[in-house]
Parts: sequence; structure tokens; C-alpha cells
Amino acid sequence: MTEENLIEVRDVTKTFGTYLAVDNLSMSVRRGEIVVLLGQTGAGKSTVLNLIMGTTCPNSGQIRVAGFDPYASFKALKGRLSVSFQTDRLLPWRTAVENVELGLLILGKPRSQARTRAREWLARVRLDGADDKYVHELSGGMRQRVSLARALAIDPEIVFLDESFSQLDHVTSKTLRRDFLQIAREFQKTCLLITHRIDDALEMADRALVLSPPAKVALEVRISDEARSDPRKIAELHAQIAAAMGGESQAEH
Amino acid sequence: MSIAVEADRTSRPERSVAAELAEPLTGVAAARKNLEGHRDIFATCVVVVVLLVAMEITSRFVPDYIMPSPVTVWNAARELFFSDPYHVVVTLVRLAISVMIAMVAGVLIGLAMGMFPSVRPYLKAIVVIDTGIPALSWMLIAVFWFKNPESRIFFILLVILLPFYALNVYEGVRALPKELVDMIESFRPSRWQVLRYLILPHIVAYIFLTTKSVIGYAIRMVIFAELVASAVGIGARMNLAQSTFRIDQVLAWTFFLVILNLLLQAFVNGLEKISLKWRAEATVR
Repeated sequence: MTEENLIEVRDVTKTFGTYLAVDNLSMSVRRGEIVVLLGQTGAGKSTVLNLIMGTTCPNSGQIRVAGFDPYASFKALKGRLSVSFQTDRLLPWRTAVENVELGLLILGKPRSQARTRAREWLARVRLDGADDKYVHELSGGMRQRVSLARALAIDPEIVFLDESFSQLDHVTSKTLRRDFLQIAREFQKTCLLITHRIDDALEMADRALVLSPPAKVALEVRISDEARSDPRKIAELHAQIAAAMGGESQAEH
Repeated sequence: MSIAVEADRTSRPERSVAAELAEPLTGVAAARKNLEGHRDIFATCVVVVVLLVAMEITSRFVPDYIMPSPVTVWNAARELFFSDPYHVVVTLVRLAISVMIAMVAGVLIGLAMGMFPSVRPYLKAIVVIDTGIPALSWMLIAVFWFKNPESRIFFILLVILLPFYALNVYEGVRALPKELVDMIESFRPSRWQVLRYLILPHIVAYIFLTTKSVIGYAIRMVIFAELVASAVGIGARMNLAQSTFRIDQVLAWTFFLVILNLLLQAFVNGLEKISLKWRAEATVR
């Protein structure tokens, strides 16, 4: 693994019984880079994420996250990575602020310090005032914001976003993506995003990897800020990615 | 929701919109719940009045030792209330201590069943065998095994109530949403932290459910146990009343037991409400 690469996957294969889920995959994510893994349902995106997070063991190949084998050295990565999932996965018996401080408490931070940091993060995701609300009192967008704050509050080196914006309506999703991007850039987080929405990738990624079943990189594209500001270039990239995903290009308006 | 409303949402904090929407809904749910509560109390009162009338009518056609009138039972209850409160307290303390011990032991066994797959089949076998042994067998066994009446009663209630807690808590652990387990695991917690932050808060609802389910049963069992194994307590006094042909006292004690059950149910319901205040109240139309 090079010093620059915070995540490195080399020739990884994963099977479930006779089903080949990941076929000889190689990829890397540099420190501070935002990479999006794109693919249709069944392309193996979530399996790749589970392998990188260390919750699944590969059959062959090598994975290094911040210099550690994430499966064999599971605990060594405590506090160095965090995940925001497709659904908010908030604990219903905890208030918003208590949910945000969960990761900090698990890391052994004193309760008062954890509470202060959690409140700061809730304010950062524009939820100040909702601290003491229970999960059922929050809207879908607010819950997802709490989930993001929980993932970011532990100040991880790497943030994984597993379809975090895909269940939200268009406007809320767009606002949340913009807020997340601002935070990720400000704190120079290394991010790996999993999504099936091309627009998410075009808006957020430094680099997009399109996976085709069984989790092979079918296309790799770099997306510069320059390209992002050029509608013609964006439309081209959109069409290119859609073709690699095996579908038609349908940009969000 | 219209696009105009959505666009407006982005320019204001979402909190205010959600709060505005939630407040009237919460009010409606609370009002409906209140109405249901009043309806329950009214129905209970109707049933009690019907029973008292039936008792009064029957008492006029049969001898006193078969069915005394409600007034006779009320007088007996007043007499017992002032002369025998000690026995009520003894039964209550026995009940509270027994339920607590059974709860702690049952929860620990249920947690062990849920968290340690290697011991699960053995614990499960013990609990399942325990559920198959009749309460009467345990009572007779307790008389042989223990000399002290208190030990007998605690033992009987422990072995009878423990399986309810163990099995329900085990089901609670099994019912943990995998999504929440994956979420907490992503922070790489210790086993103790998983227990503290995820499993224990999740099973609180199951513990309350079990307690509410077993209270009536526990009262019956403690009375039986006192009847068989003790000289003090409501069960022992009912035994005495029966042997002296005082059916008015038997019914008075029964009346106390029903009241005791209602009070304990209300107490547990109150505790549950405080402990599970995070739960959304859902009402079906």
C-alpha cells in the first residue's frame, strides 16, 4: 500500500457458495479523495463496502484500510472509519443528541465531552434545537442528518456512505448532499460513497468507479470541478456512466 | 407534497415544519387515548356493579356459607383490613422480592441464551423442561427441600416465573433489527458496549411485557405457595378462613387480591410509560 492510498483493494474475490459476488477487484482511494462506487442493483457494491469495512472476509486478494487488514484487525480501525447507511438506523430510545454521541461514547469519550461534541455536530448539520427530540418526532430528512452527524462526530479518517441519500426526496437529498460535501471538503475526509444514482456521483465525486456484476470495475472517470461547471461535459459523463452501467442516461433536472 | 412546499422547506429549518405537523397529530392521539381510558374505567365499573347485583340476588336464595351478601363481605373486608394488614404486607413483600429475583435471573438467562450460542441449547433445554413441570409439583418439592417457609415461597416463584422472563428476553434479543446491530458494529464496540447501548435498552419493552403478563399469575402462585408452605400471608389467612367456614373472609381476601392485582398492573403500566416514553403512540382507527 502506498502512503497516499488510505484504502487499497488488490485482486479481491468473494463468493457466497457458488455465487461469485466480487471478481478479482482492484481499486484504491487516496487520502482526502471522494470516490463514488456506482452500479446497478446486484452489481456487488454493498459486498465491496462490507469487505472494505471488514465485516466480510475475502476469499482471496488483499485489502488494506489505513494500513490494516480490516477483517483480521477489526478493532484496530476503531474510531478511524464510520458509516452512514441507506436508512438512518437511529436507536429509537435515544434522542437526536444521544444518537450522535453514541460513537463517541463507544470510543470512550467522557459523557460531557461527547454531549458537547454531539450538539456541535447537530448544529453543523442544521439541526440545532432538535437535540432532545426522539427519533419518531423527526422527519426522514432530519433523521438522515442525525445519522450523518453520528458518522462524522467521531472525526473518522474515512467516511463510508452507503446509498445515504437515495431514500430521500429530490430536494432534501440535494440539500443533504451539498451539506455533506461542504463538511467533507472542510475537514478533508476520505470518502467512499456507494450509490446507483449517477447524479450523486457527478455532483460529489473526485472519481467515479462503475461496477458491473460481479463487482468488476467497468469504467473509471475523474470528475473535476471544471467539468462539473460545464453542462455539456456533465451530460457526456452522464451518458458514458449510464452506458457502462448498462442503462440509459436520465439526468436529474 | 407539492414542489412549492418542498422548495419552501429547504429555505427554513426542517424542525419547524416537522414540529408544526407533529403537534396536532400528537394532540389527536392523546385525546383518543384519553377517551379509551375513560371507556375502560366505565366498562370495569359496569362489570363490577353487575357482579355485585348478581351476588346480592344469589345471597337471598342460598345459605350464607355458600354466598354471603356484598354487605357481609364488605364488613369482613373492613375487619380484615384493620386487623390483618400485616399479612397483606408480607404477601406484597414476598411477591415483590420473588418477581425481582425471577426477573433478574430470567433476564440473565435470556441474555446468555441470546448472546452465547454455545450455551444456548443447554439453557433452552433447562428452561423448556422447567415450563413443563406443574406448579403443584414445585410446591410439593419445595416443602421437601426447604425448611424455611420464606425459602420455599421464593423458590416456588423463582422456578415458575423464571422461564417467562428467560424466553421473552431471548425472543427480544433475537428480534433485534440486524440493521441496528450492523450500525453499532461499524463503531467497533466491545461486547459490553453492545449490551449496554443496544441490547439492554431494546429488551426493556420485553421485560415490561413479561411483568405485566405474569403479575396476575404471580399473585395466584404466591397465594398457593403461602397456602401450602407458610403460616403468614394472605394465602395462609385464606386457608384459615376456609377451615373456619368463613366464606365472607375468603371473598374479602379475594376482593383484596383483585384490588392488589389492579394496583400492581397500574404501577407497572406507569413505570412502563416512564421507561418507554421514546415509543411512538400508534392508534388503529
